[in-house]
Amino acid sequence: MLRDITLGQYYQTESVIHRMDPRVKLGGTLLFIISLFFFKNFLGYAIAALFLAVVIKLSGVPFKFMVRGMKTIILLLMITVVFNLFLTPGTPLVSFWKLTITIEGAKLAASMAIRLTLLIIGSSLMTLTTTPNNLTDGMEKMLRPLRIIKVPVHEVAMMMSIALRFIPILLEETDKIMKAQIARGADFESGNIFKRAKALVPLLVPLFISAFRRANDLAMAMEARCYRGGEGRTKMKPLKYKKRDYIAYLCILVYMVGSIFVGRLSF
Amino acid sequence: MGIIKTEDLTFEYIRRDEEGNVEGITTAVDAVSLDIKQGQFIAILGHNGSGKSTLAKHMNAILYPTEGTIWVDGMDTTEEKSLWDIRQTAGMVFQNPDNQIIGQVVEEDVGFGPENMGVPTKEIWERVEESLRAVGMYEFRKYSPNKLSGGQKQRVSIAGVLAMHPKCIVLDEPTAMLDPNGRKEVIRAIRGLNQVEGVTVILITHYMEEIIHADKVFVMDNGKIAMEGTPREIFSQVERLKELRLDVPQVTLLAHELKKRGVRLPNGILTTEELVAALGL
Repeated sequence: MLRDITLGQYYQTESVIHRMDPRVKLGGTLLFIISLFFFKNFLGYAIAALFLAVVIKLSGVPFKFMVRGMKTIILLLMITVVFNLFLTPGTPLVSFWKLTITIEGAKLAASMAIRLTLLIIGSSLMTLTTTPNNLTDGMEKMLRPLRIIKVPVHEVAMMMSIALRFIPILLEETDKIMKAQIARGADFESGNIFKRAKALVPLLVPLFISAFRRANDLAMAMEARCYRGGEGRTKMKPLKYKKRDYIAYLCILVYMVGSIFVGRLSF
Repeated sequence: MGIIKTEDLTFEYIRRDEEGNVEGITTAVDAVSLDIKQGQFIAILGHNGSGKSTLAKHMNAILYPTEGTIWVDGMDTTEEKSLWDIRQTAGMVFQNPDNQIIGQVVEEDVGFGPENMGVPTKEIWERVEESLRAVGMYEFRKYSPNKLSGGQKQRVSIAGVLAMHPKCIVLDEPTAMLDPNGRKEVIRAIRGLNQVEGVTVILITHYMEEIIHADKVFVMDNGKIAMEGTPREIFSQVERLKELRLDVPQVTLLAHELKKRGVRLPNGILTTEELVAALGL
């Protein structure tokens, strides 16, 4: 039921990747994505794929979970491939009817497809191995320097973690209101898209009102528990780099240098 | 001076119409004076709109008096510099458990208060463990609050306040949204805090059954204190309680009716056992 909903797509298991500091995972994912845009030959992609395969193996998350993430972007992937395949000018490879596939187009389409696939798998690996809570903590700590230019880093992180906490509650509430409205003859399931959208209004209004009421209550409860922003706050679970995190940083660095060096070679 | 003392405490809500013009003034709390001693179990009773929740919010400096004064552990709540000390001294538990749990894991929620106070990490963990044990929720420390029952969530909220080491806990209708079992769990936890940990408890409720263990009861009506005394003294005035639109526990009501019909019984019977003993059965 709605109560058991897991947010994001965290996969619970014990592994070195799961235990790693979220900052390493965030930074590593970012660097990995950046590296994908530097490659000029397919050898670079091969190294990236190998690196990713090793990390997936270490994480203990079954491969089918990664593929599940791919399903949502399959359409985007197809469109990208098709456009690149047919619309890139260059030396013709095959041509039929009005369409021409060029050598450059085929290469570009292939590298685009590989790049997108690696990108999606890489970032879903991060969300699969990090709890949303850990992720917000990591972001808060990583973005802390931005406070100098008056970015409310702590507040944004707090907002994110509260939003995560309230999603299941609000989902349950939506379910309740929906049932109450259905019991009184509301129809959410028939009619065209406009009719259905209109039918959502009597659902959204009470939901918003209750969300505001909850927000008000929560703010009061937080103040009653001495919450006064990020200043002077200690952490129950502070983020501390351990030996494995430094090793991970080193591995990422080696990968970056190696893959970009190889990936930019021209044959 | 006790842990909480009020003198002619008055609070007025200004009602406004849609244009923002003043329509009228409602006096929610009307010249209340009371003095609560450290370590007591106090119950504040009243039907809806009697002003009991408004009074409770003054004890945590969420609302400030329009007139009169309230002191929490000797600190005047209108003095801004002592605001956080007051909130640390008098913890507050609210009605809806869902709307006061901040953490996504039980232990993180209990740690929220100490984190805000700037307690060192090691001590936070000690406090969290000790508070969760005090309310009997230690086995659930790794759970998501969404998977707990109402009574369990409310006990987590109590632990969250307890971890701030308050001298006094104000509970604003903590059982109003719970089923009878959850209600019993929470009341048991609250009594435990008062008797074992020696925390002053101020329980605001409209369930009469919950106040029989209190040291002192205040009954509020229309913003004023209508009655005060021990539970026995309060329950011996069945007619007066009915006037104030409060339900008397069934046993007390039965004893009252029996007495009216000529059975010789002492005043203010609170439990079934007492009635059985008094009837000599």
